[in-house]
Amino acid sequence: MGGTIGIIVDISLNSLVLSGVFLIVAIGLNIIYGLSRIMNMGHGALYAVGAYTGYTLVATGFNYFVALVIAPIIVGGIGLLIERTIIAPMRKRSMVYTLILTYGLMFFLDGMIKYVWGNKPCFIDLPAFMQGTLSILGTQYPIFRLVTLFLIAGIMGGLMLFLNKTKVGLILRASSTIPEMVSCLGINMSYVHMGAFVLGCIMAAMAGIIAGPLTTIDPLMGSEMLISSFVVIVIGGLGSLRGAVLAALLIGFVQTLAEFFITDLAMVIVYVLMAVILAFMPRGILGEGKFE
Amino acid sequence: MNNTTTIPGIKKRFVPLKIFIVVLVFVGLGLFPFMSGNRFYISMINEMMIYGLLAMSLDVLLGYTGALSFMHNAYLGISAYVVGLFLIHISPASLWMACFAGIIFTSIVALPVGWVQVRTGGLAFALLTLAFGMMFHTIVWKWYDVTGGDDGLMGMPNPDITLFGWKLGSTGDPLAMYLFTLVIAAICFFLTRRIINSPFGAVLEAIRENEDRASFIGINVRRYKLLGWMLACLLAGISGALFILYKGYIGPSTMSAFAGAGVLMMVLLGGLGSLWGAFVGAAIFIYIQDYISTMTEHWEIFLGLVVIFLVLFLPTGFVGLGDHLKRFRKG
Amino acid sequence: MAELLYTENLCRRFGGVMATNKVCFSVNDHGLTSIIGPNGAGKTTFINIVTGKIPASSGKIFFKGNDITNKPTHDLVKMGICRTFQINSIFEDLSVFENLRIAKQAKNGGSLRIFSSKQSLRTVTEETWELLEHLGLKDLAIRPAKNLAYGDQRVLEVAIAMAGNPKILFLDEPTAGMSPTETKHISKLIKELSKKICVVLVEHDMDMIMSISDKITVLQYGSTIAEGTPEEIRNNQQVREAYLGKEE
Repeated sequence: MGGTIGIIVDISLNSLVLSGVFLIVAIGLNIIYGLSRIMNMGHGALYAVGAYTGYTLVATGFNYFVALVIAPIIVGGIGLLIERTIIAPMRKRSMVYTLILTYGLMFFLDGMIKYVWGNKPCFIDLPAFMQGTLSILGTQYPIFRLVTLFLIAGIMGGLMLFLNKTKVGLILRASSTIPEMVSCLGINMSYVHMGAFVLGCIMAAMAGIIAGPLTTIDPLMGSEMLISSFVVIVIGGLGSLRGAVLAALLIGFVQTLAEFFITDLAMVIVYVLMAVILAFMPRGILGEGKFE
Repeated sequence: MNNTTTIPGIKKRFVPLKIFIVVLVFVGLGLFPFMSGNRFYISMINEMMIYGLLAMSLDVLLGYTGALSFMHNAYLGISAYVVGLFLIHISPASLWMACFAGIIFTSIVALPVGWVQVRTGGLAFALLTLAFGMMFHTIVWKWYDVTGGDDGLMGMPNPDITLFGWKLGSTGDPLAMYLFTLVIAAICFFLTRRIINSPFGAVLEAIRENEDRASFIGINVRRYKLLGWMLACLLAGISGALFILYKGYIGPSTMSAFAGAGVLMMVLLGGLGSLWGAFVGAAIFIYIQDYISTMTEHWEIFLGLVVIFLVLFLPTGFVGLGDHLKRFRKG
Repeated sequence: MAELLYTENLCRRFGGVMATNKVCFSVNDHGLTSIIGPNGAGKTTFINIVTGKIPASSGKIFFKGNDITNKPTHDLVKMGICRTFQINSIFEDLSVFENLRIAKQAKNGGSLRIFSSKQSLRTVTEETWELLEHLGLKDLAIRPAKNLAYGDQRVLEVAIAMAGNPKILFLDEPTAGMSPTETKHISKLIKELSKKICVVLVEHDMDMIMSISDKITVLQYGSTIAEGTPEEIRNNQQVREAYLGKEE
């Protein structure tokens, strides 16, 4: 037992890790929503596909970090296929239809996961150096969770660099504000939407592999994550990236705390918190936001 | 002026024919169990009517108010659990009291949820229905002591269906239950139809068409959306009471997101904004489900594919298909 | 004569931009007041604040002597403050008749009658027909609003607002995109209306404004730069500069 300080360290680190995973998934959703006004209900399922693909890659002998690169590429490819076949034709239709469509997509993907990988939970084998624990302020903290924290920071940093420093990032940011103007500059918006969707899928898959070793990989993980990321983006304000960061931290912390004290009904606490926040701030913490 | 009393609207012309067909279907369904002794079909049609009622309640919300609820089955579930618990723990014979309790409790739960939901607006509304639906699912699933958790609620008594001293039979008797469901579903259908064609229904339609403008002609949009939501949850509550009386059992899977997608698909199959289409959709869905689930365990894949197909190629459902054909024939 | 509606130092900020800057504006209970100004002068923002679409950052709005700042839209409409939109905002899938009937119904009440038919609101139906007759839309009554010609939709846009029996009506570029004949028709309508109620018009068509307005307010960069009769505005140096730039 590490004493009170140990527990506090444990809880804060765990909540950071959880917040980080929420954040990556939620930001993927927000990018798609911010750019093409499509709320992808299949996002959670793509996250699960990412985790399962990572599991298969590691199980067939690839290094964990190699899987971390390959699996998102595979899922990105799947995303590309989905976008071109069923999402792109829906652009002009009302939002209700795209919501229902991607909801159908979610069930299709969940069903495919069960078909390919079965119903049993799976575990990702970690490289040897990540399996130990590290002593921090009186608690034995698993090393892979610390590595996970660095990975999350790396992904977020990379995304920020991509959006702020590259030409493609510039186009994406501009398109989220004035799509008409961007298309007048001779940029095919259809490709921008496609790029956003694929980027979102890649983020989801990365989160999936990162979260894989933290929890078990099972067919339910997708829908659970979908709900959590909805909670995050609704609280943060639809489409607002900064709001998502705040909300992810908040939800990650509250959920970790709640799970520590009352295991079974922890999620109920999170929903009640969400309801209370929305009752006072119907547009979320930062309101419907820009893409910054 | 002469024409002040005639309300224009092309649809209205078909009304007598429609009423005739609906009455015919009602009578046909009423006579069915007396002509066919096939227990399997009686039971299946019973389920179709119950889910039809639920699908209709979702249609009120989606087709008329334009608000999407992903997990409307949650409110069926809440009502069913309350009715079941009431019959098991409080009074095993008071059918009407139990149903009343279930419906009232569902409304009490739906009110604050709806209040939060309508404040947030279109898309967030839809996402929140999913979040709250999952919350109810989690509660039912994990609160083992009260709900029986994964095992579901068991040991339901079979109260008698009586009205003013006249006895129809026990809820355990498929024939009595069938007739009971038919009568209740028919009453709900006609009342809802009446409500949809009332000034109140007109307000809901205006909100669906253009929320912004609706508030600029003096409609309190949030209030009417909440009222629409409450109406839909009330109907879902009624279907929940029927559901548990008919099945004698309810488990958390009835309240899952998967089951919610099923209800959504019934409405899509039937076509949005036509109350009777919801019943048609429910009938088609339950028939297909029954057929496919015996062949494969990967029913999810089919559900997903059919939803995608419907949205892409047949967004108006089978009712809409009928309209297309009608227009086509007229040239 | 008491003022029907007036604003006190009304401000609205978007980030660092003052879209509406200390506007003091007042109108009487009838007559036609026009608001003009170069693009981006804050005309539509001003209407949006007064009609409750967006909240004011500071300042107050009074209607019949009561403070109505930041009240919800539907309450303002019930008091008699109605508006139209620059871009058509109609109930597209409903018939023209139903478009107006629902607006009348929202005004007259009865929306909570859930078990009676729409036809049972007899005065609503009668008043709707009268309005259709008055505006010459009677022949189009059963057509779905989305199938109307653009000009007719524009008339319908105004008609929906008129159905609420407003005491003050804000018209946001009612003639945008209309042909000269249609413009003439609608400006006659507006002039007639302004004899009974207060009409506030935002327009770009200068000929129309100069010929029918009783009073003109000129906005630039969110502030009022001039106020007066058409004749005074025509000769105002500051207004000329706002539109044409300074002559050196």
